[in-house]
Amino acid sequence: MDNTGKEKEAMQLMAEADKKVKASGSFLGGMFGGNHKVEDACEMYARAANMFKMAKNWSAAGNAFCQAARLHMQLQNKLDSATSFVDAGNAYKKADPQEAINCLNQAIDIYTDMGRFTIAAKHHITIAEVYESELVDIEKAIAHYEQAADYYKGEESNSSANKCLLKVGHYSAQLEQYQKAIEIYEQVAMSTMDNPLLKYNAKEYFFKASLCHFIVDELNAKLAIEKYEEMFPAFSDSRELKLLKKLLEAHEEQNSEAFTEAVKEFDSVSRLDQWLTTMLLRIKKTIQGDAGDLK
Amino acid sequence: MSSDFETYEQDFGTITAEVTNKIGRIPKLSGEEKTQLVLNVDKQLEEVRELLEQMDLEVREIPVQSRAMYNSRLKSYKQEMEKLEKDFKRSRIAYSDEVRNELLGDDAISSEGQRAHLLDNTEKLERSSRRLEAGYQIAVETEQVGQEILSNLHTDREKIQRARERLRETDANLGKSSRILTGMLRRIIQNRVLIFVLGAVILLTIILAIYLNLRGH
Repeated sequence: MDNTGKEKEAMQLMAEADKKVKASGSFLGGMFGGNHKVEDACEMYARAANMFKMAKNWSAAGNAFCQAARLHMQLQNKLDSATSFVDAGNAYKKADPQEAINCLNQAIDIYTDMGRFTIAAKHHITIAEVYESELVDIEKAIAHYEQAADYYKGEESNSSANKCLLKVGHYSAQLEQYQKAIEIYEQVAMSTMDNPLLKYNAKEYFFKASLCHFIVDELNAKLAIEKYEEMFPAFSDSRELKLLKKLLEAHEEQNSEAFTEAVKEFDSVSRLDQWLTTMLLRIKKTIQGDAGDLK
Repeated sequence: MSSDFETYEQDFGTITAEVTNKIGRIPKLSGEEKTQLVLNVDKQLEEVRELLEQMDLEVREIPVQSRAMYNSRLKSYKQEMEKLEKDFKRSRIAYSDEVRNELLGDDAISSEGQRAHLLDNTEKLERSSRRLEAGYQIAVETEQVGQEILSNLHTDREKIQRARERLRETDANLGKSSRILTGMLRRIIQNRVLIFVLGAVILLTIILAIYLNLRGH
């Protein structure tokens, strides 16, 4: 009951605001405090949008926010405009992902114009997440994550940049762009190696890089592992390295049972996640594939 | 007649041997077999008693000179028979070794005990190794959680640093704007003072002009 009431109020506000804008469009209105009217209209749009949000009418709310944002642009209030676009994007996220992405893109343009790269990067990440979950367009998601990582690097926030890069690597490996994934994981691992807070993560990244090497070519994997061991001695103690060595052996002997056994043993101690299982499965297929060729 | 006695002696010997054997076996058996054996032994003891009576009669018919030897033999046989009877009675109520074993457990049952003991040990070992593995798993999980937390902390650290920078910038900007505002205020005051002064001058000039005019008339 309350919500529908709010909706009606909101629609009234929208109508009023529209009138004001039209009025200010005419010559007379422009002369006599046109700006004042437009500002009022902006505020009314914002209030209407909030009421739509209360009534859970997300697309109407998004629409209202977009209108407000355009008016702010007219008034040269870049910051306000960008915030309104972001609000619109958030509202559209629940209703129409594509529209949300459009709004967020506009907001990002404004922010990069003003030189606020960190916020722009944050919104790139939001867009990438939308692509990941709702629209399932992994390529675009990767592109946005990369952009975000570049901006973060520019602002010297290496941790956030690494977070984005990891996602890029994750998805590139899934899309079989192994070379890119290898570079990314190596890069991240080397930058985290020295940091005392992060060095416990480094071995995980080396492990992932070696797995990607493995899928491409076994010899590469061996060389890479030796290189990593040299660079990062703590890597040699890890269970992951032991698993890798066993997998290499199993691959050489084309023995898929030993492979499965080694994987099972590792899994019994610490569960393998989705990505790892997919990669290991691909490696296993190459073993069985080779065995098939031999026959 | 003495040959009769000897036959009786031999019979006595065989039967007593059998009876001793059976008496030895009675405690080990139970139930049906036991009753059978007990009846058997009873019958044999009856036979033995009849034999002894016969031997007695025989001895009486022997001439007195050689009676002593046969008498002594007969006495020993009688004693043997009494002993057999006593044994027989005891065996019927005796607790056999078997029963004792059942109660307290001896060599046969102690090997059972050893086996159970060993099984128990193996189970304890297995339990402890399972617990160790679970502990190891938890340790690995803890390490992973720790990794995540550390990287989150690092990100947050950078955010805080950036926020601090921005705060300092904002502070500087605020200082600048407050200076500008004070400058503006000063200029406004200056302007106002100027206006008053100019106003005063103009007023004075007008008054002077009027005064001179009036003086001029």
